[in-house]
Amino acid sequence: MADTPLVQMRGITKRFGGVTALQDVDLSAYAGEVLAIVGDNGAGKSTLIKVLPGVYQPTEGEMFLDGEPVTFSNHADAARAGIDAVYQTLALADHLDPAANMFLGNELTKTVLGITILDNKKMRSETERVLMERLGVRLKSLDAPTDSLSGCHRQAVVIARAVYHEGLRVLVMDEPTAALGPQETARTLKLIKSLKAQGLAVILISHSLDDVVEVADRVHVQRRGQCVGVVLTAESSTQDVLGMIVGAKEDAA
Amino acid sequence: MNTAVDPNYKPPLSERLEPYMAVIAPMAMIAASFAFMAVASPDRFYRISNLELLLQDAALYMPMAMAMTFVITQRGIDLSIGSMAALSAIIMAFLIKQYGFSVYIAVPIAIALGALMGLVNGLIITRLKVPDLLGTLAMDLVYRGFALVLAKGLVLARVPGLLTEIGRGQIPGFVPIPVLIGTATMIAGYVLLTRTYFGRYTIAIGSNPEAAELTGISVNRHKVYAYVLCGACAALGGVMLTGKLNAIQATSAPYFNLHVIAAVVVGGTSLFGGRASMLGSFAGVLLLSMMINALVTLRIEFFWQSVASGVVIVSSVALYAWMQKKDRDGAGGWFAALQTPDGQKMLRLSAVLIGVLIALLAVGAMFAGDPNPSG
Repeated sequence: MADTPLVQMRGITKRFGGVTALQDVDLSAYAGEVLAIVGDNGAGKSTLIKVLPGVYQPTEGEMFLDGEPVTFSNHADAARAGIDAVYQTLALADHLDPAANMFLGNELTKTVLGITILDNKKMRSETERVLMERLGVRLKSLDAPTDSLSGCHRQAVVIARAVYHEGLRVLVMDEPTAALGPQETARTLKLIKSLKAQGLAVILISHSLDDVVEVADRVHVQRRGQCVGVVLTAESSTQDVLGMIVGAKEDAA
Repeated sequence: MNTAVDPNYKPPLSERLEPYMAVIAPMAMIAASFAFMAVASPDRFYRISNLELLLQDAALYMPMAMAMTFVITQRGIDLSIGSMAALSAIIMAFLIKQYGFSVYIAVPIAIALGALMGLVNGLIITRLKVPDLLGTLAMDLVYRGFALVLAKGLVLARVPGLLTEIGRGQIPGFVPIPVLIGTATMIAGYVLLTRTYFGRYTIAIGSNPEAAELTGISVNRHKVYAYVLCGACAALGGVMLTGKLNAIQATSAPYFNLHVIAAVVVGGTSLFGGRASMLGSFAGVLLLSMMINALVTLRIEFFWQSVASGVVIVSSVALYAWMQKKDRDGAGGWFAALQTPDGQKMLRLSAVLIGVLIALLAVGAMFAGDPNPSG
């Protein structure tokens, strides 16, 4: 693990009117690691992972990418800098095929007789390449609409959209396994591990501690808008983490 | 293995056919009606002149069906096309007949006016947030009203030869000119749908508006584009209609909207958005024109037309709905629903309604007096 974190948040506070969703939160993630953020409902997880890719702007605090201070005024800014996010509600147009979805809003084009038209063939082959080389995923068909794909493969298409951007370094995922069955979950976790092996920093929220223990290197525990600790999964049990989430340890001390 | 597609996956036949259903279904219906006419009235139906008439009739609706496919795919609807067609055609006819405009200028003016009316529709829907159904229905009244104000009861007849060429001209030994125009717009629509940003975003917007917005697509702008296209194509329809009839009046093109929407929906474009089929719309237009043509050649009373159109719309939408949900809820056969408590109650309600109607008719017949009122 490198000495400087790839991405770092320092003293992040976010208020919505009178409500303080985040209070002085520090977070850091290194290249080639999976950091899980856990916590009860209302602990500030979702706000935290929306501040990072520029969807929300922090009220106070600083962010660093590769040690350089950065500010994002919107998500497009963050995506250009290499921080992208995959959200719970998958942003897929179900009637379009995987290639169309992967390039949605960012289509490849070619010029025929001076007219710019979509290059469907190129988009299809690029989708095939990214899915295979970067994610190791084989879809049952590249021509069928995406609603005929399994949950894991739908997720793969959305992730492919993010990783197609060569400069991607940090991928934020909101509950990647929430709506999936056991088999699909296992496949998705494998996908996350392969992203990690490619040197990305993956930051994910999960409610399933089993998944967290399986895939994450470190766990950042949020409680009532504050970070109550960061633990290495190798050195702690699910019981410890659960204790931190509900605040049992703190109360006992 | 260097492919992202699982080579061992073999979908069942029905699943492999599904993407093509939008074309197969109307084609099958067209084939069926051809076969039916071969039995019912072969001598009058299979005349070249009749088939040409059929194509000419279908061609009139093709540009509008093409544009409507985009609007419906974006989860929209445009009920004002008939009025837009009438109003732009009337203004064109006035320009030609009263102000001596050249046809070469007047026709583009008509199409530009149609596009402008479409723009108004689009802005009303996207900026003023009026629901599309209500917005275009109201604008239908507005445009029709303007047409009536302008033309009063006048029939603007006898237009220049170039216009009648557009509407009913014939290339010797080949197809009628309107068929050429209609088919060209359909092909242009197909390219627009599958090869351009506009087409791609049309499907994305209809499929998942939130996702489209999230990926940075300007949803409202592309919605307005679709309505502008619809207005321009309605005006083209109006121009073709004027040429075909060699006349135009304010009350022309009364049921264009339902006819065109029916053709598009029969062709497999989903009213719920996201599923578009340009080839299906083409087949749908042909099917509806065939049906009307068949009614005429079979000498069935004209008024049955509206019954037939309605039945075709309902049955085709029901067919697509049924195909969509197959196997998803394991509902069993057609009559399985009658066994459920809800089905039983529905059955009882229908029985009561029919019973009451029969009883009332019986009572009425029993106490019926002299049908000719005295005095």
